[in-house]
Amino acid sequence: MRSLVSFVLLLFTALVSALSSSGTRLLVVLDAVEEKDAYSTFFTDLVERGYEITYETPKSEGLSLFEHGERNYDHLIFLPSKIKGLGPNLTPNILLDFINAEGNILLTMSSTHSVPSSLVALLSELDVTLPSERTGSVVDHFHYDTISAAESHDVLVLSCPPNVRPGLKDYFQLPGTALTFPRAVGHVLGSGPLLTPILRAPPTAYSYNPKEQADVVDPEDLFAAGKQLALVSVIQALNSARFTILGSAEMLEDKWLEVQVARPQERPQYTSNREFWTSLTAWTFKELGVLRVNSIEHHIVGDDEINPGLYRVKNDVAYKISISEYAWRRWVPFTVPQGDSLQLEFSMLSPFERRDLVAESETHRETIFTTNFTLPDQHGIFNFKINYKRPFLTSLEEKNTVSVRHMAHDEWPRSYVISGAWPWLSGIGVTVVGFVAFSALWMYSQPVKKTSAGAKKTQ
Amino acid sequence: MTAKSQDLLAGVTAPKVRTLLRVVILFFIAGAAVSSRLFSVIRFESIIHEFDPWFNFRATKYLVANGFYKFWDWFDDRTWHPLGRVTGGTLYPGLMVTSGAIYHALRALTIPVDIRNICVLLAPAFSGLTAYATYLLTNEMTTSPSAGLLAAIFMGIAPGYISRSVAGSYDNEAIAIFLLVFTFFLWIKALKLGSMLWGALCALFYGYMVASWGGYAFITCLLPMHALVLICMGRYSTRLYVSYTTWYALGTLASMQIPFVGFLPVKTSEHMPALGIFGFLQLIGFIQYVRSAISGRQFQTFLVTLLVATFGLGLAGLVGLTSLGYIAPWGGRFYSLWDTGYAKIHIPIIASVSEHQPTAWPSFFFDLNFLIWLFPAGVYLCFQNLRDEHVFIVVYAMFGSYFAGVMVRLMLTLTPVVCVAAAIAVSQILDTYLSVKVPIVDETAASSTDSAPKKAKGGLRATEKPNVGIFNNLSKVVVTGAMTIYLLMFVTHCTWVTSNAYSSPSVVLASRLPDGSQHIIDDYREAYQWLRQNTKEDAKIMSWWDYGYQIGGMADRPTLVDNNTWNNTHIATVGKAMSSREEVSYPIMRQHEVDYVLVVFGGLLGYSGDDINKFLWMVRIAEGIWPDEVKERDFFTARGEYKVDHDATETMKNSLMYKMSYYNYNTLFPSGQAVDRVRGVRMPDQGPVLDTVEEAFTSENWIIRIYKVKDLDNVGRDHGAAAAFARGQKKKKIQKKRGARVLRVD
Repeated sequence: MRSLVSFVLLLFTALVSALSSSGTRLLVVLDAVEEKDAYSTFFTDLVERGYEITYETPKSEGLSLFEHGERNYDHLIFLPSKIKGLGPNLTPNILLDFINAEGNILLTMSSTHSVPSSLVALLSELDVTLPSERTGSVVDHFHYDTISAAESHDVLVLSCPPNVRPGLKDYFQLPGTALTFPRAVGHVLGSGPLLTPILRAPPTAYSYNPKEQADVVDPEDLFAAGKQLALVSVIQALNSARFTILGSAEMLEDKWLEVQVARPQERPQYTSNREFWTSLTAWTFKELGVLRVNSIEHHIVGDDEINPGLYRVKNDVAYKISISEYAWRRWVPFTVPQGDSLQLEFSMLSPFERRDLVAESETHRETIFTTNFTLPDQHGIFNFKINYKRPFLTSLEEKNTVSVRHMAHDEWPRSYVISGAWPWLSGIGVTVVGFVAFSALWMYSQPVKKTSAGAKKTQ
Repeated sequence: MTAKSQDLLAGVTAPKVRTLLRVVILFFIAGAAVSSRLFSVIRFESIIHEFDPWFNFRATKYLVANGFYKFWDWFDDRTWHPLGRVTGGTLYPGLMVTSGAIYHALRALTIPVDIRNICVLLAPAFSGLTAYATYLLTNEMTTSPSAGLLAAIFMGIAPGYISRSVAGSYDNEAIAIFLLVFTFFLWIKALKLGSMLWGALCALFYGYMVASWGGYAFITCLLPMHALVLICMGRYSTRLYVSYTTWYALGTLASMQIPFVGFLPVKTSEHMPALGIFGFLQLIGFIQYVRSAISGRQFQTFLVTLLVATFGLGLAGLVGLTSLGYIAPWGGRFYSLWDTGYAKIHIPIIASVSEHQPTAWPSFFFDLNFLIWLFPAGVYLCFQNLRDEHVFIVVYAMFGSYFAGVMVRLMLTLTPVVCVAAAIAVSQILDTYLSVKVPIVDETAASSTDSAPKKAKGGLRATEKPNVGIFNNLSKVVVTGAMTIYLLMFVTHCTWVTSNAYSSPSVVLASRLPDGSQHIIDDYREAYQWLRQNTKEDAKIMSWWDYGYQIGGMADRPTLVDNNTWNNTHIATVGKAMSSREEVSYPIMRQHEVDYVLVVFGGLLGYSGDDINKFLWMVRIAEGIWPDEVKERDFFTARGEYKVDHDATETMKNSLMYKMSYYNYNTLFPSGQAVDRVRGVRMPDQGPVLDTVEEAFTSENWIIRIYKVKDLDNVGRDHGAAAAFARGQKKKKIQKKRGARVLRVD
């Protein structure tokens, strides 16, 4: 009954609000519920976008991410906490289970709070390293805010950089604007393909521990500097669960919306923090960059049967896939980013064919990609495989298994069609005619006494 | 009926009564043959046995369900994943088509019989026919009326044949032995009569034989050998020419209709003797013709020139074509027939099959009992007459004995000739000692048989019949009595062997409880049933190839390799996955889309046919393809022992097979008490740790263990780290590394 209700509810939310493609239940974990007032614009924005926000402290008794093996929340926001561990309800294993159950997490940090050990352990599983002692502050003596941090240089003012590499969607690009990163904690990413930095510190920035390295930073003990130091990074697990690390929780606070910031020798300007966090939360909570395969069709060219399980070697095959992308409340046709291509593999152990799919047609909510090719001259169990895993986009892994059989005994061309067989065919004809003629001649010729019977037998 | 046999019983019974008696006896023999094969059904149940029969059964079901043409073009996508198997073109369809035909015939007669029952009972039914065919063959050899019947009953219950034809043993041999014997009978008949009709019939049954069993090569080589021996003995005749050329031409055409055989008869060395003798016979026939046409001195020159030219050209052609690759050289299986050590060194996959091992001496007695020592006597008696058909028995006996000595399973082809020869010997003894004749009658009979085939008197001089006989009643009674006892013992032995050694389905194991009652160990079917009910329809199962057919037949799940060992590399891949570390195995399993891994473990029960005991074969076969990655030496301790306990090598302990076999095994026992009952050793306290697979199922007696292959880690860790994290172990790398940092580049 309960599941039915929740299903109807889910259907209802999906139809009416249709905000996030993966649910609206949002849990915010913070030390005290009153702290949320500092972020009122941020949370108001989220509520306006349709999220049902629950605020809990890590110590709260009723806090539980799972109930009966099902997620209680779809999304999770961590605000900086003073608590060293996060208690038994938010152990790294539970958080990892939350990710494995396709829950999304936005983790914010601040150099004024040390990061809870539970989150450090989780991040180390994701191959993200934080400064030792769980604290660290990023400073930059060239890109600081001259108004608020003229002395400490720990409020960075950065322009939003382009994507780390071409061929990605431009969800986070805000050209010509400034972002502030007050009292940020930098982190270092491993080289895994699931990790993507969105905002890296400028080359002149470095991270230090204000308590222990207040006077001088020994290069040996330097945590990280320059572009190796990431301020905002995203991680997308293989099941498309999203995890965002925001180095500065303070940038979400209301106060940075009203004040102006200025880099050295530059004019003061308002920040675009709000635009940035909007796209960041939208991406993290799957309002952006969610791909959906509507249908896949493959068939023999000139044959009506759709998605047959059995092909023959050297068949001409047409493959068609329809993909939509979820962007801000609705499904729109998916367009492959510039410099990237969507590919189809026809593989058995290794790919026999790998082809770019071409966007053939586009309706208001789907793009249809197609390709045609001839099957290899190899029988076996093949997969039509789409393995499209890109940063910022949910993974597409579509595998349609088909068997490719050999030529049946009656599918070869008949011998009389092959011109090379004509000499042999005529040879057979001559032999048959000759044998019949000889037999006739033999039988109707004059019997020579009685030897004919014995002689005939030996032939 | 020849004169002699009529003499023997003249005045006692009329010929009609004797014929009736003979028919009744033959029916009784067939009944005995069938019923002694039903032990397996009575002891266990009506179930398909062992390994290969499961494939045949599955193929038969496919044939019955989809019809002949679908079967002919069958591409099987549920074996040899992901290569698939062109099953229709790589099997001998005779067996399945026979069962299918019987099934449809019974349907047409409105007798609804389950196809499984037909398959289970096909072998016993055909054993009755084999007995009859042996009767016919033996009757061609001797004039004694009892020899044929004796041969029939010998054939009917000889364990050497029963071993492959009990109820449920639904294998190619089930019908092939009947076809073998019947083809030989037709060949003898054709040769005796010089008849094109019998030759064509022989070719027809030869074609059926080719469609049924790979052992047809035995006929392909034996008939030309017989012809060659006859020619060398100076017994070339138009009868030989007609029968041989008819058989060869039609038989080869018939055999080439089977897709699996195809052009082999003109392309491989195994078939070359038949082709060579065919050509040789044409040559001899031509020479015979020329001799009648030209004078003696000219003929000498002609003959020498022709022979030298032909052999020179023929040999050069053969060598040339072989080296150019048109004719395949002798295959590995064939070499292993000459050098029993060959396979062990070069083709481990052949040597790993137990039935390809050389025969142990006791098994001759075990399988043939007293026939084995009557066999030489029977062959000796063939020398007494040594007509063309007796030469055949002699040649067959020689070749059959040799091959039976080389390979256990070829005992099967030896059994018919042993039965025939032994029956000739026994009947000779009985005829001699049970004779009520007076010497004068015997003399005339002997002279009359001698006078008829004047040519055939080329036998050994020592075997010429002396004019003696046994007329003492005491010696008659003693010898006859002894023979009767031997025959009775033979029947007892056969029954005992059949019921105890050859009736186990090997799918279920039987053991005795302390109180003597039978206890069935049914782990195999338990596990296969689990697979059938709990896994996805297309879940791929990786196991060693021995269990491939059973998984396909009983669990109905795709397998990577099976008992049709057509692709050595694919088997070696599985061997490599089993014998490597998890980090190496996992990508292989991913690439082959393996969902479950199945291992057989006998350590708890003391079941010695388990995978750890077969493990070295996996290693050897894998080493044959990847000598740098898998090394057999690494699985032996420094002292050269194969160990699984504390002393096991690191390679052994880290191999996937070892880990899967012994995973959690120590938890069954009190600490430090874990014992492997097969190897008889105490296991280490600390069991192996598995990261990339997780236990899914273990059968009641731990014989079958099934593991599920884990998916890739969701957040991109390697499995070792993920499993360590799940076990609660902290990451150790936190402390700062000195030296160059690993920088991220993008």
